[in-house]
Amino acid sequence: MVISEQGYVHWQGTFVERRFPWWPITRLGIRLAFKRKFFKFVFSISLLPAVMFSTGVYISERLDDFQFMLKGPDRLLEVNPVFFKSYFTSEPLLFLMVMIMVLAGAGLICDDLKYNSLQLYFSRPLRKRDYVLGKMATVFFFLLILTLVPGLLFVLLKLIFAGSFKFLANYPWIPVSVIAFSLLVTLFFAFYTLLVSSLSKNRRYVSILLFLIYIFSNVFFGIFYSIFHNPYFCLLSIQCDIQQVGAAFFRQSPQYDVPWIYSFLVLAAICCLSAFVLKRKIRGVEVVK
Amino acid sequence: MTAVIQTKNLSKWYGNVLGLSDVSLEVEQGVTGLLGPNGAGKSTFLKLITGQIKPSIGHVAIQGQDVWNNYPLFGRIGFCPEQDAFYDEMTGWEFMTSLLSLYSFSRADVQSRAEKALDFVELDKDKDRLIRGYSRGMRQRLKLAQAVAHDPEIIILDEPLNGLDPLSKRKVIRLIKDYKEAGKTVIVSSHVLPEIEALTRTIILLHQGKILARGDIHYIRDLIDKHPHMISVKCSDPRRLASSLVGEPSVLNIQFGPGPDTVVFETQDRDKFFGLIPRLIVDHRIDVEEITSPDDNLQAVFDYLVGK
Amino acid sequence: MTMSHNAVRSIFSFFFFLGRKARKTKVFFLISGLPVLVALIIQINRLFAPGSGIDGPAIFSSVIMAFNLQFLILVLALFYGTSICSEELEGKTLTYLTTRPAAKSAIILGKYAAYAAFLILMVAAAVILSFLILNVERLLDLSAWLAMIKGLGVLALGLMCYMAFFTLVGTFLKKSILFGLFFSFGWENIVQYFPGSTQKFTIMHYLKSLLPAASTGSAGKLSFLTFKLEPSPAGTAVATLVILTAVFLGLACLVFSKKEYIFED
Repeated sequence: MVISEQGYVHWQGTFVERRFPWWPITRLGIRLAFKRKFFKFVFSISLLPAVMFSTGVYISERLDDFQFMLKGPDRLLEVNPVFFKSYFTSEPLLFLMVMIMVLAGAGLICDDLKYNSLQLYFSRPLRKRDYVLGKMATVFFFLLILTLVPGLLFVLLKLIFAGSFKFLANYPWIPVSVIAFSLLVTLFFAFYTLLVSSLSKNRRYVSILLFLIYIFSNVFFGIFYSIFHNPYFCLLSIQCDIQQVGAAFFRQSPQYDVPWIYSFLVLAAICCLSAFVLKRKIRGVEVVK
Repeated sequence: MTAVIQTKNLSKWYGNVLGLSDVSLEVEQGVTGLLGPNGAGKSTFLKLITGQIKPSIGHVAIQGQDVWNNYPLFGRIGFCPEQDAFYDEMTGWEFMTSLLSLYSFSRADVQSRAEKALDFVELDKDKDRLIRGYSRGMRQRLKLAQAVAHDPEIIILDEPLNGLDPLSKRKVIRLIKDYKEAGKTVIVSSHVLPEIEALTRTIILLHQGKILARGDIHYIRDLIDKHPHMISVKCSDPRRLASSLVGEPSVLNIQFGPGPDTVVFETQDRDKFFGLIPRLIVDHRIDVEEITSPDDNLQAVFDYLVGK
Repeated sequence: MTMSHNAVRSIFSFFFFLGRKARKTKVFFLISGLPVLVALIIQINRLFAPGSGIDGPAIFSSVIMAFNLQFLILVLALFYGTSICSEELEGKTLTYLTTRPAAKSAIILGKYAAYAAFLILMVAAAVILSFLILNVERLLDLSAWLAMIKGLGVLALGLMCYMAFFTLVGTFLKKSILFGLFFSFGWENIVQYFPGSTQKFTIMHYLKSLLPAASTGSAGKLSFLTFKLEPSPAGTAVATLVILTAVFLGLACLVFSKKEYIFED
């Protein structure tokens, strides 16, 4: 008599090609994030920069009515590539994106590792790439709301309030830059979040690490830069790397005299490291082929 | 006999969810089984009497003392929780000795108690392995070991036989019976009926947070007189036996099977039935192999009581 | 009283041992060693570029100590302080402690003492190593040693005070890490810029009053370390920190004793 293994086994059937097999994972990740009370609050706060800059777009077309604002820095009042670069690389926005990841992204993989849920996933017709895509799409959902959506909204609002296509005629590449940079920064943060989330089964520890690595990279850049005055230390800081690349995408000169491609390579290296670690971590479960 | 554990109007809500409702009882020395399906309130009750949670209404006392925040009482209590949770980065030995050091035992005493407890649960060979690497059964045994290592007077075990193999279960059942003979008080909760049956005759049935019944299993069974008793007879001529009883007013139903040599009688008066059987067997020269009462067990009791 | 002392001591041993073994401790040990790496890099650079004008001792007092004071002890205290209660709840191991003849306050105090002890050791090791590396020319200078010891004392006091605060937070808040992050890098960093008495509502104010050298730095990228300090007298600062530590710990013990903790299924 053959005694069969009654535990979870890897899905042995054929994979029927479906559209968006990763979507149930994404949907669950989004729903779980919104269930947290504090997350809704922080997410609302993180939309503030977009609201502010949208107001700036409006004001830029009504400058006569807002003369008093011309006394200060006028970067908010002229909608040009600098405006977009200021929004996408602003420290508060990047910080809030990290906080959103702490709240919504920390548990994406670490909770699955803690509760041995990977066995549940892979005993169903789901590939590893669908699993990872589903998790990444959860991060994409939240971060694109903070990047791509406001970016395109600024363009749209500018066109509406100006009542002409002059803006697009002057800067036809801006929508492409908005889309490309939004996707790039979101992709980076997705990889970064999943990398850290896969390092531990303890969600609190992952939350701290997500925050710590980001902040400390900036702090150490500050320390080395102040001592050695060498701009290449900016490559140590995740924030600076994103800002360098952002400046390039919006055709502005970067803050530090370092080729932006180096910063891009640093970000890409972190993404590759993440892919490598994810491949190992998710492969570590015994029923996964 | 003086009650060891007393509860009066004990109730517990988790928000809007009722965990336990108006439980008033006294637990005496010996082994008491706490029985109920999942969600009946067994774990809630055990957490209340071990001071893990506070009652919403009512109070609970052990040996006349209030339990909540009364930490000296825990020198006399051993608790084996249901949840499978440990300090995974410790070894079994470290776990046992660390917890035993929280009592006022000398270092030598701690070590000897830890050794004895681990030896009893057959974890002595694996004591230096990290708990993270233990199997489910090993973890369950370790939980039991930490509950009994300090030789408490009162032992409260929440589903102690979960995850154990049959040999380990027998050993634990033997231990519990030894504790009873030593005059200790043991409360064992389970939803596995044969386990409780093997341990004790004194049971408390919980259902939806309320006490459904309590007492001796047979006493409880007698409470439901109106429900017929089933008696199965395995013999050489079941049909002749059946034909001699078919005219008996107290026999309500006769069924043949399972098997060609078995007949099952349904009767309202078990005592009268058992009085008739020996005479019939002798008169008709029927060889009887076995007489059992299939519903004289906890499953049947519970099913009757909850009206299934 | 004897039983309580024994219980605190036993729990201290329990968690000092467990904390040392934990994987996350090794990670935080490496993180706390980052200033040592910075010190090494600076010294190596000085060896190869002697005319660079980098002053090792000045960097130790203004940069390394500032980093420890304003970032490292905050992060360590946040994680370990909130862990005192939260990790027992998340791991569902609280039952093992609360069914022993040990007062609940002893559990909090014993665990706090254990974590504080090895965190102080961790930070001290990193600070001493950084000091040795950056002050290699001044090792015979007693005043440098005294300044380092004073700095260590302030870091230890800061660690204990922050840990006590986060222990309290961990006893009653589920999302203690998030609150802690907002407190540490929001409130503590922002309010210290406020003039007058407002800055006295931060723990960091009192720590910086004791280590003013670690509170200033050059402009530019280190501007996040500079602020408008109106220091309190040293005696007042120490007394306030000690009192705050005692108050936070007392409240944590009280909350932990009174509150019931229900494990999430």
